[in-house]
Amino acid sequence: MADLMRQYSRRQFLKVTGAAGATVGAGAFLAACGANSGASVAPTSPPATTGPVASEGPTAAPTGTFNWMTWGDHYYQAQVDAIAASNNIKINPTLFSDNIDAYTKVKQVGGQLDMVSGDALWVPHYFEAGLIEAWDINSLQVSSQLYSIAREFEIWTKPEGYLGYPFGWSPVQVYYDPANVSPAPDSWEVLLDPKYKGRVVVEDQPVEIMAYMGKFSGAKNAYSMTPEEIAKAKDLLIQLKPNILRLANQATDTIAALKSGEAWIATGNLGTESRVKDQGGPELKVFTPKEGTIGWMDSEMIVKGGANESLIMPFLELAEQAEYIAANFILNGRPLFNEAAYKILVNQGQQERADRFLYNKPETVHTMDLKGPGTSTQAVIEAFNEVFGA
Amino acid sequence: MARGTSALDTMPVSPLARQTRGLLAILAGATLVFLYLPIAFLILFSFEEADTPGFPITGLTLHWYEKMLSDSGIHTALFNSIQVAVIVAILATIIGTMAAFPLVRGGIRFPGAARILFTLPIMIPGVLLGLGLLVFITLLKIKLGLYTVIAGHLVFTTPFVVLIVAARLQGFDRRLEWAAADLGADNRKTLRYVVLPLIAPAIVAGALLSVTLSIDEFVVTFFTIGPQLTLPLFIITQIKFGVTPEVNALATVILVGTLSVFGLGTLLLSGGRRFGRRGTE
Amino acid sequence: MTTDTRSGADPAPLAGSARGLRSRVGRAAPFLPGLLMLTLLFLIPMVIMLVFSFWRTNNDFDLVRDWNVSNYARFFTQATYIRTFIKTLIMASAVTAAGLAISLPFTYFLVRYVSRRLQRAVLLAVIVPFWTSYLLRVYAWQAILGEKGALNQFLMGTGLIDKPSTLFVYNDLAVFVVLIYVYFPFAALALYAALEKFDFTQLNAAQDLGARPDQAFRHILLPQIRPGIITACIFVFIPILGEFLAPTLVGGAGGSLIANLIINFTRQGQYPEGAALAIIVAAFVTVVLIIFRRSLRVEDVVTRG
Repeated sequence: MADLMRQYSRRQFLKVTGAAGATVGAGAFLAACGANSGASVAPTSPPATTGPVASEGPTAAPTGTFNWMTWGDHYYQAQVDAIAASNNIKINPTLFSDNIDAYTKVKQVGGQLDMVSGDALWVPHYFEAGLIEAWDINSLQVSSQLYSIAREFEIWTKPEGYLGYPFGWSPVQVYYDPANVSPAPDSWEVLLDPKYKGRVVVEDQPVEIMAYMGKFSGAKNAYSMTPEEIAKAKDLLIQLKPNILRLANQATDTIAALKSGEAWIATGNLGTESRVKDQGGPELKVFTPKEGTIGWMDSEMIVKGGANESLIMPFLELAEQAEYIAANFILNGRPLFNEAAYKILVNQGQQERADRFLYNKPETVHTMDLKGPGTSTQAVIEAFNEVFGA
Repeated sequence: MARGTSALDTMPVSPLARQTRGLLAILAGATLVFLYLPIAFLILFSFEEADTPGFPITGLTLHWYEKMLSDSGIHTALFNSIQVAVIVAILATIIGTMAAFPLVRGGIRFPGAARILFTLPIMIPGVLLGLGLLVFITLLKIKLGLYTVIAGHLVFTTPFVVLIVAARLQGFDRRLEWAAADLGADNRKTLRYVVLPLIAPAIVAGALLSVTLSIDEFVVTFFTIGPQLTLPLFIITQIKFGVTPEVNALATVILVGTLSVFGLGTLLLSGGRRFGRRGTE
Repeated sequence: MTTDTRSGADPAPLAGSARGLRSRVGRAAPFLPGLLMLTLLFLIPMVIMLVFSFWRTNNDFDLVRDWNVSNYARFFTQATYIRTFIKTLIMASAVTAAGLAISLPFTYFLVRYVSRRLQRAVLLAVIVPFWTSYLLRVYAWQAILGEKGALNQFLMGTGLIDKPSTLFVYNDLAVFVVLIYVYFPFAALALYAALEKFDFTQLNAAQDLGARPDQAFRHILLPQIRPGIITACIFVFIPILGEFLAPTLVGGAGGSLIANLIINFTRQGQYPEGAALAIIVAAFVTVVLIIFRRSLRVEDVVTRG
């Protein structure tokens, strides 16, 4: 009996342990060897020391796949398929939702990613952290299709070069259902109006919500508020809370609430009202609050030390062409920085829609408080938690 | 198993027992309805014309199924998810089952501490697990990929297996093992033919839980994954535009597919080794 | 009450070197892979997070090695964290109780009255829906519970109410229902594993000896499946402490649970701040688990020595 217990424990289980251990060990070994898909054949031309330059001629056209961390609306399938077919440059996209997630990832893994998309003030932040390259935007021919303002954003200009290839932008606007909301609002105040209790939807973004309240209470910079400004914003937040139907996790949630009529007022990026209408919802009106608003503009950044860096310029040269950008606008309804694409849209009879989405007014970005790291992040989160906790 | 051979079935059944049985059947049925109610809507929304799943339904279409079938990105994501889930389930089940034995039967100096250690990963928010792992992995200069995701998932699935198998193992009738030894079986045979089959339901339950936990996880996955995507990651990151019914279509296909495959498998295979209920046969 | 022989009480103590180190290592050996895995993949990362929690984040979202305990102090000085934590404990308890109440009869019926083959089919039918996206399932619940949702439409259609009910609209009750739904398979599988080994003839024997059905149930069934019930409670209660999606999706403005407050920090890169809060929650649960360790024991009688 005792023998049984002894043998049973030792021999039998040591064998099974060995087998399992070998499996785990093999897994770890393979992980250490870096067996992940996405690494490509080393491209022919090594990156120049001053930063990547567009490939000169047909002599050594790089091909392969590079890793791109981006938002889902920065490309569409037909576009990347066409580029893959014609020039054999493929993308291996990873998606993310918040800038901070991408930043954390890039900070940790660096060159395992080749290109990353980011908003406004995040771009110089990436650069200061030594994570991205600065380069000469005019070295890309396609950049001449951009609005000139987009090539000269001060926050993206450094002595070493430009920090990213501009893509799109949007202010945050307020949408409302005129059938239930009157008189026509023009201020953030409508969000707080007790008449609309439980009828407001805002995004589940504590820093942004506090920024809205900050704008309403006159804060100079919604992302770097002083303690007094934060206190004022917090008081407004307390008034806002009972009005909120739900905090939207995704744009879908906002649209769903508006389309079903459960919500009458919402904040969102450009184009929300069209999507609601397209899906059978009511006809909404939109306005930019008179106190000012926040917004974002994004760009593609080149990660330092990416293994496939030399693929990026050729890719951008193709992907940022006006035809693709115009098609992207039709798909996603965001204003983009490509001026030539605007002309294409006008020719296609889409001018009304493009103008409604402020496509031809990229200078609007200068009126927005731009998203990015600020000095009051932690304090506003604390304030938000205090109001929205139990 | 109403073959009439087990003592349980030949015993006279009181009216109270019959009523109880009927009531339980109704409750079980209601529970199944409760479980499948949202699923029914999920499937419904996969056919709706609008871009956003939800009411009101403006029209019905198969367009999302077409889109889903041609979207190679979503297929890769799905394939990655399945790969990871299967490997995680296998590893977690093996490691967890093995760990349960000494936990219950002695050999560990501080079984209470060991048990708490295994319970901890369940309560730590995924963000911390993921970030801690990411920092550790990059410290070791290991490249991120699906393998690091598997490692991350192992952390929070194995405890479930350990706990469920340990609960099953406690109070296990050792006499069965001794009887097997008396009849000449060595340890391996005892394990294989007596112990494991009897705790099989717990092992299977643990494996199923592991798959469930892994296949829909996105927080730890986001931090530990390389330049790939899994399905939940794909869905969660559609944030600027939100989820379209294309995902509903995919979910419906997965659901119907898995149910058919498993359903057929279970019904076709004979009832498996039958050990009957304890105390009979 | 289990008898001694069932739990395998050891015969005469092993003599001499048999009780020595080799035997002990041999018996503990199967635990090693799990221990190794946890140490490498959990303990070390958690130590890293623990260290982080004593640092802070600067305005550039960078970690500053500025040793301080303010992240921990925050939990105790700003009342919202304790209030929300208590609310989370209440929600978790309620969901656990309700979940058990629903899954126990279900699993009992499944094990007792359903053929083995069909049991497996039903188990799969229960769990496969949970392989679809969490997000989609919760969206579906929104569509059911919302103001213009299916439930309201049904109730209004049958004339039971004339205005849409806001009973489940983006509030704690909706979170409650959705959490029961989401954690049902966990409880069910844990209970299934425990119930499956139960010998139901004991109930008949008890009744033969004069016990009423509920007495048999309480004194014979429950004690024997106690480990399973405890496991089911752990599987539901503890993960809910880390649950943030359901409150966001169906909880409305007031639905935040403690994990929401934590991820409000971590989603903005304030990892030390979030880590400290999470560690406090984990420490609390660990203390509770230690206090109640006697009732949570899984070790067999023999090892309690």
